[in-house]
Amino acid sequence: MSFGQTGLVALVVYLLLLLAIAEGARRARRSASPADHFLAGRELGVFVLFLTLYATAYSGNSLLGYPGEAYRRGFSWIMATGFMLSIIVVFHLLVPRLRPIAVSHGFVTPGDWIRHRFGNERAGRALLLAIASLMVIAMANFLFAQLKAMGVMAELVTEGIVSYELGVVVLAAMVLLYETVGGMRAVAWTDAAQSLLMLAGLAALLGWLLGDVGGMHALTAGVAEVRPEAVLVPDVREQINWASTIVLLGLASVVYPQAIQRIYAARSGRALRRSMAIMTFMPLTTTLVVTLIGLAAIPRLQGLGQVEADGVMPLLLGQWAEAGPMAMWASVVVFLGALAAIMSTADSVLLSLGSMLAEDLLGRPRGASDTTALGKRIAAGVMVSMAGVALIARDVSLWGLIELKMELLIQCVPAFLLALHWRGLRAAPTLAGVVLGSLIAISGVLLGSKRIEGVHVGVIGLLLNFAVAVIGSHWQAQRASASASKRGSSA
Amino acid sequence: MKRRVRIALLVAVALLFGASIPWYREPGAVPIEFLGLPDWVAVALLCYVAAAVLNSLAWLITDIPDQSSAPGEDEP
Repeated sequence: MSFGQTGLVALVVYLLLLLAIAEGARRARRSASPADHFLAGRELGVFVLFLTLYATAYSGNSLLGYPGEAYRRGFSWIMATGFMLSIIVVFHLLVPRLRPIAVSHGFVTPGDWIRHRFGNERAGRALLLAIASLMVIAMANFLFAQLKAMGVMAELVTEGIVSYELGVVVLAAMVLLYETVGGMRAVAWTDAAQSLLMLAGLAALLGWLLGDVGGMHALTAGVAEVRPEAVLVPDVREQINWASTIVLLGLASVVYPQAIQRIYAARSGRALRRSMAIMTFMPLTTTLVVTLIGLAAIPRLQGLGQVEADGVMPLLLGQWAEAGPMAMWASVVVFLGALAAIMSTADSVLLSLGSMLAEDLLGRPRGASDTTALGKRIAAGVMVSMAGVALIARDVSLWGLIELKMELLIQCVPAFLLALHWRGLRAAPTLAGVVLGSLIAISGVLLGSKRIEGVHVGVIGLLLNFAVAVIGSHWQAQRASASASKRGSSA
Repeated sequence: MKRRVRIALLVAVALLFGASIPWYREPGAVPIEFLGLPDWVAVALLCYVAAAVLNSLAWLITDIPDQSSAPGEDEP
């Protein structure tokens, strides 16, 4: 059996497994309420919660984009391990405060927090719409990246028996099916299976690469020989970019709607705490591994001419598959692991998009079962639209897409982190800050200058966003107290 | 006490993040090999391993209540 035929059989078996899990999740359903569909009835325990957090955080970009960046930038991509770790550190600012409020008030979407915190202010509704819109735009972008990666992986693992277009359509339909049938329960359970597949695949690939090259020392020597600049101490701009990326990803990732919804969906604070304590080690078992894989590709792929960043991992797996029947099967497992990472992120994003569009943007009530039905219909519409875009726009790099998404998401940070820690924050200045920060981030992207001296424009936008929110809130408070004392003295 | 330890752990994590970036080396310098890696990469990696351990400990002592402790406490 050829590699493509083996891949096709494995792909079909994998998809059947997902369907079986989805059916199990459908049977476990308790009610048609949004909390049951979008948050699995708030019953996720440590093991499933950890695996679904993991599968959601590590997307197609982690498996395809990061090895490509390590291949392109060299050893300075060790920064990726740092910025993925920073996410679990920044969660300390969000989880302990948000979780009890969310449980007490039955939150389902990120917008529920904005409604709760700023709902009694005149600008509260406008702030909710701004935050929800930014999150929806960023998530739609993210979903597009996953769909594109799904098509690429399906085509590669079957050696073209399944075309890119067919891969996008079939896999998008599969994600939509199990998400619609089983909601968050199906998403979390499939995420758990997908995480295990992803971990097994990566460990096998790294073992083969290091064994084949002769260990870490030989890997470093090989990189230094063919591309000496890849091992040199990075220049100042790259170092600033390193710090800026840690800030950008650490802050932006904690306001991922799907991450926030998992905070709501945890069975207990204890389960959440333990899941986070385990999650903190995952950058070392995943991001570091894919970085080393990308570095190992530098000497291996030398002589192949210009290699596309997202094509590094597939090229390596192709080489591995040629080493014998066992290696071929192992390579197929890694392909499926990568596909699993992509699908698990896509399903979580889709679930969040459905709930946010129905509740936060269209204003449907939180507890009603027709909100769930509307959320499902919207999710289907979004999936069909984004799959259409993925079929047309294939030539966009995954890392480019993720940076654009982060530049926008990071502008939502003051409305969550600052609002949770400072009661003085007001809706109108927060809204002004969000608008200003977003305009700066979008302008930077449109003008092609995503970084200024290594600092992301989104981070610069956030600083100004933050300043406007804080200064504006102080000014508003002073004005309110001045008018109160004026009223008091005239009375 | 638990809160103070948690804050101390998180401050240490932040310092480790700062130390992971090779500010302390001349840009473009040829590295010495350490643990099979360029020295500045090995330092960054050790910082991240230590940060992961400390951050995990900080999570284990973090109190995440399942309800707001007093009615109205979470009101804006």
